[in-house]
Amino acid sequence: MNVLHFFRSIVRTLSRNKVRAMLMMAGVTIGIASLTILTSIGESTRRETMKRFKNMLGTFDTVIIRPGSSKNRGMVSLTNVEPSLKFDDATAIATQVPEIRQLAQVQNALDIDVRYRDRSGTPAIFGVSSNWLELRGDEVAEAEFFSEDDVRSLARVAILGADAQKHLFPDEDSIGKTIRIGDVPFIVRGVMVARGAGPAGGSLDNLIFIPVTTASKRLFNRDFLTMLIAQLKDPDQGQLAIEHIQTLLRARHHLAPGALDDFNVTNPRAVMAQVTTTGTTIRKLLLIVAILATGIGGIVIMSVTLIGVSERRKEIGVRRAVGASRNAILAQFLLEAVLLSLAGGIVGIALGIGGTQVVSRLQRLPFLLQPEAVLAATLLSIGLGLLFGVYPAWRAAMTNPIDALRD
Amino acid sequence: MIRIENISRTYSRDGVPVTALREATFNIDAGDLVVIRGVSGSGKSTLLNILGCLDSPSSGTYLLDGADVSHKSDAELSRIRSQKIGFIFQSFNLLPRTTAIENVELPMIYADREISRSRAAAMLARVGLAHRERHFATELSGGEQQRVAIARALINDPALILADEPTGNLDESAGAGVMGLLHDLNDEGRTIVLVTHDDAVASHARRVLMIRDGVLRESEVKA
Repeated sequence: MNVLHFFRSIVRTLSRNKVRAMLMMAGVTIGIASLTILTSIGESTRRETMKRFKNMLGTFDTVIIRPGSSKNRGMVSLTNVEPSLKFDDATAIATQVPEIRQLAQVQNALDIDVRYRDRSGTPAIFGVSSNWLELRGDEVAEAEFFSEDDVRSLARVAILGADAQKHLFPDEDSIGKTIRIGDVPFIVRGVMVARGAGPAGGSLDNLIFIPVTTASKRLFNRDFLTMLIAQLKDPDQGQLAIEHIQTLLRARHHLAPGALDDFNVTNPRAVMAQVTTTGTTIRKLLLIVAILATGIGGIVIMSVTLIGVSERRKEIGVRRAVGASRNAILAQFLLEAVLLSLAGGIVGIALGIGGTQVVSRLQRLPFLLQPEAVLAATLLSIGLGLLFGVYPAWRAAMTNPIDALRD
Repeated sequence: MIRIENISRTYSRDGVPVTALREATFNIDAGDLVVIRGVSGSGKSTLLNILGCLDSPSSGTYLLDGADVSHKSDAELSRIRSQKIGFIFQSFNLLPRTTAIENVELPMIYADREISRSRAAAMLARVGLAHRERHFATELSGGEQQRVAIARALINDPALILADEPTGNLDESAGAGVMGLLHDLNDEGRTIVLVTHDDAVASHARRVLMIRDGVLRESEVKA
């Protein structure tokens, strides 16, 4: 058999039956397009969620200890936590739990008025220890963060988040200026680099950092902490660290066996894994719909090819008479189905890429095109053609040429 | 060139065995023009299909060019059809949505040989249709369609041409043109087996095989 010419004659056959060809392609096109959009958007959603978590947490190699038995949803602050987590607890964890590299202390509050001259706002106030930058991986955009000495001496120094800086100092340099947090004057020591959006999409930059000791003794007059962030030596030892912290804190808080913890410890990695896999029920449903559409596309190919086989009995008979073997007929019909399915798939991929761009723009997600997804869609459409083309092609090959020519 | 010995063909129709061809024996020499006659259902199509290697005999031996082709596989029979046999049908059987020259090229696809458009064009010119290369079957008259079919039958240079009622769907003048073409081919030395009802067509043949109820007998041999 002359393969090249065989191939060309098939392309010619398809191109001269355009309506049939387009009908056969349509199902695969729709299916592959929706699959392409869903996988691309799904993946960029996952990456964006991960990025926002990273924006909020800085690193994933931490466990977070918060007061209170219930797992508080949303931002903790001095007004909504139990006073169960003390500075001594922080020191104990940092020195006695072997999995911990270092520990940041946090005492934060919301709804505190901050003023500079006639401008005011209510950024979140974070009293933190001086290792915050190192632990979080955050960076200072201007001047510097406060030091361990500042923490020890209860210095009234403030580091502004990018949004807080913009709000309070729209037109002027903030470094060295005096702002009032509550009624206490602080000197602006530095400005943070912007972190971007958090998991819920809100700003993570409308905040002010001050030394945790200053917050506790000069601003809020509270001796308990709202959060401890413990950095692990080995990110995989989160669970072990959590168990050790629980044992240590229960002993320090004199909790009777069976009593509930008056603190809770979470592992952001586990939480993020949960967040990025849950919330995808709709995605799964859409995926099933897309797979169904693709399958229906395959069935359309099969039925239209089957109709074609009975319409083209005479052609099959003639081809057999002039020398086509059963295998040649099988190859012809199979190749027709595969080429149509592939063409449908390619159009589907193109539409899918266009659709992904539209959806990413609407959802404000970065446009992400995965080469593996394109390759998979291509292979899938070839596979569909083979799967749903083989039965009609077999029927065509088994057509008795004598009967076919007599019709 | 063709040696048929005691060939029978039995079908099973609704579970009942039906003998379409009974113990036929005859020879066809290279260069012969043989006419097969018989009423419909007499078994002449069965014989033609066996001669054309579209069907295999239930028993007996069919030697084509000295080779036994009685019981070959589908692939082997297809190869023989492509190399040695050209079919011409009553209803022309050109492929729809396919131009005249593409129809003529069709058998070359299934033969292990180079596709030669110039060869196909020469063959169309040979049957007097050089000006119709790019026309689709539906744009051609019956006589023209049958000429395209003859060009298609000839393209792989077969030794044997099998024509089943080639003038049955044509008016008198187109039929005469087609018969003239077949006679020319016969004069060039091609072996032709022709099934026909037409007395006028049959009268030109040197040999006529009559078939009735599956039984074959030699009717006449002209000098």
